[in-house]
Amino acid sequence: MRGKNILATSAAVLMLLAGSGASFGQESHVGKMIGKENRGKALYQRYCIFCHGKYGDGRGDSAPYIDPKPRDFTLGVFKCRSTPSGSLPLDSDLYDTISRGIHSSGMPSWKPLTRQERVDLVAYVRSFSAKFTEEKPGAVVQIPPEPPTSPESVKRGADLFQSMNCVFCHGKEGRGDGPSAATLTDNKGNPIRPFDLTSGTHLKCGDSDQGIFRDLSTGLDGTPMPSFTDALKPDQMWDIVHYLATVRTAGKGDRKQASIEPIAK
Amino acid sequence: MVKLKQIGMQLLGLVIFLAGIQAAHAIPSFARKYGMPCSACHEAWPMLNNFGQTFKDNGYQLGNGKDSPVYQDPSYWPIMFRTTPIWHRENNNRKAVDLVPGDTTSGLVERSVTTSGFDQSGLDIITAGTLSNNISFFVQPFINAGGRSALVQSWVRLDNLAGSPWLNLKMGKFELDEVISQERILTLNVNGGSYYNYFFTPLGDNNVFTGIGGNLLGVELLGHSSNDYTRYSVSVLSSNNGTPGLTSNSTYDVYANFNQAFEVPRLGMQRIGVYGYFGQSPTYFQTSGGRPILGTGTGNRSFYRAGAYGQWYVGKFDFQTFFMHGQDNVFLGNSVPANQPASLPLGAVGPSWNGGFVETHFAYNPRFILTGRYELVRMSRQANPSIRSDAGNLDSWTLGYRWYPIMNPRAGLAWVQEYGHLLNSGAAPLSGKDNITNSFLMGFDFDF
Amino acid sequence: MKTRYFSSIIPLVVLLFLMTRTAVRTVEAETGASLSGTVKFEGTPPTPTKINMSFDPNCAKAHPTPAVTEEVVTGANGGLANVVVYVADGLGNQRFQPPAQPVVLEQKGCVYVPHVVALQANQKLDVVNDDLTTHNIHPSPANNREWNTTQPHGVPIEQTFARQEVAIPVKCNVHPWMKGYIAVLKHPYFAVTDKSGHFEVKDLPPGTYTISAWQEKLGTKSQKITVTAGQSSNLDFTFKQ
Repeated sequence: MRGKNILATSAAVLMLLAGSGASFGQESHVGKMIGKENRGKALYQRYCIFCHGKYGDGRGDSAPYIDPKPRDFTLGVFKCRSTPSGSLPLDSDLYDTISRGIHSSGMPSWKPLTRQERVDLVAYVRSFSAKFTEEKPGAVVQIPPEPPTSPESVKRGADLFQSMNCVFCHGKEGRGDGPSAATLTDNKGNPIRPFDLTSGTHLKCGDSDQGIFRDLSTGLDGTPMPSFTDALKPDQMWDIVHYLATVRTAGKGDRKQASIEPIAK
Repeated sequence: MVKLKQIGMQLLGLVIFLAGIQAAHAIPSFARKYGMPCSACHEAWPMLNNFGQTFKDNGYQLGNGKDSPVYQDPSYWPIMFRTTPIWHRENNNRKAVDLVPGDTTSGLVERSVTTSGFDQSGLDIITAGTLSNNISFFVQPFINAGGRSALVQSWVRLDNLAGSPWLNLKMGKFELDEVISQERILTLNVNGGSYYNYFFTPLGDNNVFTGIGGNLLGVELLGHSSNDYTRYSVSVLSSNNGTPGLTSNSTYDVYANFNQAFEVPRLGMQRIGVYGYFGQSPTYFQTSGGRPILGTGTGNRSFYRAGAYGQWYVGKFDFQTFFMHGQDNVFLGNSVPANQPASLPLGAVGPSWNGGFVETHFAYNPRFILTGRYELVRMSRQANPSIRSDAGNLDSWTLGYRWYPIMNPRAGLAWVQEYGHLLNSGAAPLSGKDNITNSFLMGFDFDF
Repeated sequence: MKTRYFSSIIPLVVLLFLMTRTAVRTVEAETGASLSGTVKFEGTPPTPTKINMSFDPNCAKAHPTPAVTEEVVTGANGGLANVVVYVADGLGNQRFQPPAQPVVLEQKGCVYVPHVVALQANQKLDVVNDDLTTHNIHPSPANNREWNTTQPHGVPIEQTFARQEVAIPVKCNVHPWMKGYIAVLKHPYFAVTDKSGHFEVKDLPPGTYTISAWQEKLGTKSQKITVTAGQSSNLDFTFKQ
């Protein structure tokens, strides 16, 4: 009689545990797709572990030979987001970074992986930092419609580039050779260079005008690049975006970059 | 109760063993340049996954702005060696042997012959990568067990012409664009270890073209979408079967391949494709004093190989399916020069055949993969009525696994065990009965 | 049936017990003790380096004689400034409400004033830019959320820090010489020493505590002390090179 009771209770407990799958690992939500941590883990061990490390701390076997260093996921700090400075990224931000890759770094575009595989990887990346269970991402940065460019807008942007002290890091011509540039370090203490805006190289978090506006709003966490939401109004940010377009064409290169296919909504 | 416990303990032991097979770490050649593990590009090397196929189609470039050789680590050494020291045992159930060994007058009989011993495949030397942005190359000399060397592949490719992944031009001696690749096959056996459909020529056929599995000389235009889901290639090849020096004749063959991949929810990526090889081969040469003059092959007659294939991913399993229909001209099929039509046997026709295979893999993790394959070829039309209808048919199956125990920053090592079985209908040398060969192989596949 | 009863009561009891442990307390002034003292530096303090602010004229203008680094600031009689003195242990698991009054950190003449600021967890920090140049306020916490914002002249910025951390380095990426520290404590019993090295902590509940003194270059020193209600105790610290 007693044995039966114990069996029944433990069976019930096991069923409960099995049913509450969410409590056994992170889940990610990108569009309509759901990613699971356990599937992401198998993919991580195939594709990511050598740079980002077994514990997601950016200390994989090849990390000493790579510059810039692979991201340390345990800090919960990410560059490319659509949320305010200091906030966690959205799952779709992580998905976009995995898909687009980060140009001029060791992080390739993982578009050849299926969309489900990339969404599963996002779930596993979430598991490395307790922040993803303790906090929620901040409110998504609003990107208003872009006004058309004009010589006046470019001039205003150039003036803001000066008065906001962008020149101290990015340099007078945007080459990344400002007086502070040599002193800059990232959040791990590694030296980091400001982006050469004249190079025509693809920007790390996406090239579109909306992407640049978003980067100005969110800042790139973990790097010296700050957020400008407290400092600039949206029109002023668009002025800087228009100015940067002229800086970029002063160098070489085109802005074409493979687009990330939209996830089914 | 005790029995259950025993079985349980054994299962536990198996689980512990399997759990100990950890995920991959490896970097030969390309991997060293980018700091990525072998498993990123290879389902289980040498077989490619979609990420690796994309990297290859991009001209061995990741497209992350750090592809130019100037970015590579000073310790990056762009040369790779591959060699496979093995132990193998083969059996041939009907081999023609002298009745009395050493006595040629005693007559030939069919006997079962078994050979075994340690062996080595020879040494593949591969150097490949980018000469600069968007110019890639691949050079693969091979030194065989006897010490003779051959140039297996040697090509240069202009990648992403006009900034587009749809235009890539390859020139040289190269493997035909095949998603299911003979060069990157996971089995090594003498019997059962190759894709027989890729090399099949009917009995009595003297076509110099020995199949789509070899490396041929020509020019290839290839294009692909950015995630490699859509791919096409068109090659124009010199019909000299990959031997440099214009050995046969100046006709040109065309090979085309088109495939499309798509994502199936919960299962993974699937790919289907169609291909065709259309060519002409000479049936005789111009001669001088009776001796054939190289490169003057003439009396060209046509042949083709065409079919469809698929790659199917279902979780940790993947399947590769392949179908081929082949046809050779009547002169090629009967080994008769085209200027001697009277020599054709009565009722001669161009032989045709159908074949295919199904190969399955189970990648328990990136360091342990099980492989199984079943392949067959069926003649649908023999070259002349005197040939038995099933002569030349073959059935082959193989089972094996590869385990990658050592992965350090410079080299990869696989432990391989395979068993292969091949049945050739009517191919016994004396009796015309079926000829069955099998082979068991175990050894190492070194990649460093 | 008996087991079912117990299994629902026990979590309730545990919950109630936990609630008592984390009760929010405020201590009446009459029953509090006060702690004061001096932090001294023994020996010759290192010579500070001059800061070159020439690439931003708005900063250089504010310093006719060049500003100097503030890693070790000493005053009269060897008093050590910018030392955070705080209760490290002895308050148990009590939680304290942060005061409504914000703490102000100024950027004046392109240096942080005060060089070290201390506040309670979840207390507001008002960052003020008094300079006619744009600053970039970038704390680099190990135990708190990291944020990084541009702040032109006159634009107010207000933030809080949720967890105790002694102390968070603060920098301005555009003016690389600017260095400051934010010490976040989970209770109100802390003080930052002034130029003469003097500190005072008021309204401490009576009890035995470990008091720590943190200096950005010289590390942390700790001492134990017992304070009694209505009494004023003295505690000194000495730092060496």
